Amino acid sequence: MGFIWFYIRKIFTLFKCEVLVLPSRVALLVFVVALLLIPAFTQDPYLLWVLILTAIFSIFAASWDLLSGFTGQVNFGHALFFGVAAYTSGLINVYAKVPNFLSIPLAAIAGVLTGLIVGIPCLRLRGTYLALTTLAFPIILTGLIFALPEVTGGELGISGLDRLSTSRVYDYYITVVLMLVLTTIMWKITDSKTGILLHAIREDELAVRAGGINTTRYKLLAFCLSGFFAGIAGGLYAHIMRTVGPSTLEVALSFQVIIWSVFGGIVSIYGPVAGVFILFPLAEFLRILPKVRMLVFAVLVLLTLIYMPEGLIPWIRNKIEKECPRCKVRSIATRKTCRICAASLD
Amino acid sequence: MIQEIVINGLINGSIYALLAIGFSLIFGVARVVNIAHTALYMAASYFIYLGFDYLGMSSLLAALISILLTVALGLVCYQLFIKPIREHESAVLIATIALAMVIQEIFLLAFGGNYLGVPPLATGYFMLAGVKIANQHLLVLGAAFLALIGTWFLLMKTRIGLGIRCTAQDREVANLMGINVNREIMAALGISVGMAAVAGAIVAPLSVIDPHMWLHPLTMMLAIVVLGGLGSIKGSFISSYILGFTEAVVVFALPMGAFLKGPIALSIMILVLLIRPEGLFGVSFEEER
Amino acid sequence: MKKSCFLRGVFLALTFCVGACFPVWGAEPIKIGVIGPMQFTQGEGQWNGATLAAEEINKAGGVLVNGAKRPIELVKVDSNEFLSIPDATNAMELAISRYKVDFLVGGFRSEAVMVMQDIAMDNKKIFMGCGAAHPQLCERVAKNYDRYKYWFRVTPINSKFLVKVDFLVLDMVAKAMAKQLEIPKLKVAVVAEKAAWADPIVGIAQQSLPKMGMEIAGVWRPSPTATDTTAELSAIQRAGANIIFTTFSSSVGIPFAKQAGELKIPAPLVGINVEAQKDGFWNATGGKGNYTVTVGTYARVKIDDKTIPFFDKYEKQFKEAPNYTAGTYDAISILKHAIEKAATLDADKLVPFLEKTDMEVAAGRFVFTKDHDVTWGPGFITSVGTQWQDGKNMCVWPYNWEDLTYEGTVPYKLPDWVMEYYKKK
Repeated sequence: MGFIWFYIRKIFTLFKCEVLVLPSRVALLVFVVALLLIPAFTQDPYLLWVLILTAIFSIFAASWDLLSGFTGQVNFGHALFFGVAAYTSGLINVYAKVPNFLSIPLAAIAGVLTGLIVGIPCLRLRGTYLALTTLAFPIILTGLIFALPEVTGGELGISGLDRLSTSRVYDYYITVVLMLVLTTIMWKITDSKTGILLHAIREDELAVRAGGINTTRYKLLAFCLSGFFAGIAGGLYAHIMRTVGPSTLEVALSFQVIIWSVFGGIVSIYGPVAGVFILFPLAEFLRILPKVRMLVFAVLVLLTLIYMPEGLIPWIRNKIEKECPRCKVRSIATRKTCRICAASLD
Repeated sequence: MIQEIVINGLINGSIYALLAIGFSLIFGVARVVNIAHTALYMAASYFIYLGFDYLGMSSLLAALISILLTVALGLVCYQLFIKPIREHESAVLIATIALAMVIQEIFLLAFGGNYLGVPPLATGYFMLAGVKIANQHLLVLGAAFLALIGTWFLLMKTRIGLGIRCTAQDREVANLMGINVNREIMAALGISVGMAAVAGAIVAPLSVIDPHMWLHPLTMMLAIVVLGGLGSIKGSFISSYILGFTEAVVVFALPMGAFLKGPIALSIMILVLLIRPEGLFGVSFEEER
Repeated sequence: MKKSCFLRGVFLALTFCVGACFPVWGAEPIKIGVIGPMQFTQGEGQWNGATLAAEEINKAGGVLVNGAKRPIELVKVDSNEFLSIPDATNAMELAISRYKVDFLVGGFRSEAVMVMQDIAMDNKKIFMGCGAAHPQLCERVAKNYDRYKYWFRVTPINSKFLVKVDFLVLDMVAKAMAKQLEIPKLKVAVVAEKAAWADPIVGIAQQSLPKMGMEIAGVWRPSPTATDTTAELSAIQRAGANIIFTTFSSSVGIPFAKQAGELKIPAPLVGINVEAQKDGFWNATGGKGNYTVTVGTYARVKIDDKTIPFFDKYEKQFKEAPNYTAGTYDAISILKHAIEKAATLDADKLVPFLEKTDMEVAAGRFVFTKDHDVTWGPGFITSVGTQWQDGKNMCVWPYNWEDLTYEGTVPYKLPDWVMEYYKKK
């Protein structure tokens, strides 16, 4: 009995000393709890629908950050992974009647393969060359889709996919929980040894290579991982929309994901997620100004960038929290001394 | 059939060259990937429409004024939105995308999503080797060559050009050598936007104007610049014609697949990059390793 | 037309508020969601057509349901479907669960309408399509009646019938050419934008043109958003085509017609060119689109007693001719008729009454097929062929087809440069 009590107390202490002391962690906690509790308070189908799409696009944006933010392989055609995965799950679900709990993982595998196919030729390209080359892939694939209307349905796409689940609330929980789990995994990846290597490649590829590390393999790994997560997002999207069309490959979608991510703050995983959770519902909210909706949206993004070029979330985080110059641990900005080593924070 | 391919390839190529050279120039000098480049091209067309349809100017006057206005717009946008964040590469990228969206939305708000038309500077057509060429397209050909020669002259033979080239090679050293880097960037930007505006002024009359017209040439322009090698003006010029001819060949050899002209041109770009990752005439910058 | 965009909006909103609230004070309104790309002409047409219908009905007191006159309240829902499909679905959800609309009219881009249709069917809302022509939308009704029975198409006619009209108009032009210019065997260039709805038209053209005694000079498929078609045009001229058979719904229709006029390609343009149905076409092509022929839904001819009044009213109020997306006007009239007969707003009870619709609307006599599609044929809705003749879009078809000529139809005119070209020869 005392044994269990010990653990409960330990968890409570951890919670008090590691979560409650940092505003960012409190905010994260509130966010997760709120997200999970929303259906208990309102089952408004419109709200849930918007949040479902937001969750899907969060996975998508985080996967972009994994590849382009962390590894520095700026991808201008990220919609390729999304579209390939969406079409894969569409095709196998409609023609081969593969149920959705299999078609979404298969879509993710298709995303990985796409990552390989695109990654290998792109390994030799860097920076802006890479960015502008990746832009071309979804356009080429769209051409193919239009050239084979018997299989792909041309501009109309494939329709009649299975539902994700039987009700909107279940859909909501599936996508939101998946979003939370997958973004946590991505976040953990960036924190692991592999993640640090990926980050190092972004900073100085030559130095990493000189350190005896096969950077090619790691870059390819980044493409595949990113393709995997984007693939899950694409598969989920296909089953939520129940129609897969060429709009999943549009340049606009590729740009949209970059806007979300950079707005939220790249190289953080949580930044892009927050970016989507702010901007996607914002675009919906701006329906109250129908004519100037997109204008206000674009101007907001532009202004945010001028004042916070690092992105919104890192900017806020730096305002409310300070990093200790000695032990690199974060403390709330109101403190004068570090919460761990008591060094002065100013 | 050969003569049609040659002539149409030349026309396509010249339109692209006008856009790509300007884009390449500003990338070379300021390292700004200006997604809003084609949005400024669109702005020029709308200004002509405004001048001609609302203010009753002659089409030539409207074209001239619109080019000036567009250059001014480009410079103001740079000062306001791009300069403060120039150090953050990804932020600049998004800022130019957002800027393009703002321009698009402003025109959408002002003129609606209707397709509009502006009068051509030259009407009628010209027969060459049994092929009809609209006189306006002859203007496009002329403008592309003039623009190329003009920029070459400016960059190679004038002091401003020297400054621009210095800045392009190494901004910091140029700064140390007493070159006003910011002024050089503004000059390069002026030329770059000016060329986009010229393209808008002479291409638009044969096509349609609508608030989304900037998206179509954007991908082709980016492909051309990458194919030619980033920052290389010669490369952009030559690859404009390569992709222009590719498009013409696709239309003639594969009439059922005319819609594939974009994807096929892009595939060619990717194939070339596989062999030469720095593009046809690109130089690998040491600082960008 | 362009300058007063905002003013017109305010004016409309005001007149609408007055029209909607005043005569039938108090009665609970019937909410109709008008969903479409409101930033674009297509959506504008849908909204304009719907406002006209709502104003008319409200002025007459409203819709009679169970002895009570209820006004119509329109809800404008911007689907933004050209730019973003997720946006379109959000708009649909918004309309149904937040605005709680009773009925939906509109929709344009086929890919988006498929998704929007699914959402409407999930919620068992009657959705009257006014814009998307793809047959699959109605085939779904045939395949899964219980689920999709709430979908009805009002405009345009199914692309299968559209093709029939298309060929009838082509035949008329071909006959005119053969007769006036004495060309023994006509060569036709088939130019269709690369879009799913155009594919069957190309297939049928390849099969039936030889049967109609014409030769195919070639098939070109430009992208729907192409802005420069001079390459295609010179290829067409090289192939020696006498007629250009067009199939365009997107912006490409404008540069194609404009450049063909500029280069004086010696072959008239005939077929579907949605952009040419709009008044803006003349200005957009700078008059170079003269003589372009297109198939359309409305023209200022006496199709039935409702057409000309509708046309004039629309033109007076919105300063432009109605386009087929203004079919929301007809859709709301049909809906009103069915509601009054069924005396209920319940979707399941309304469907059988809607299916039995047989009434005159502005586009002609309206009857639904068993797939909830538009019935086409002489005596029903035929569609019209129109030609731009010196700045005016005139009706040129039906002209003595199955003994049918709508009052006000004019004969087809060959372009003068085509005449000159063949006279010189």
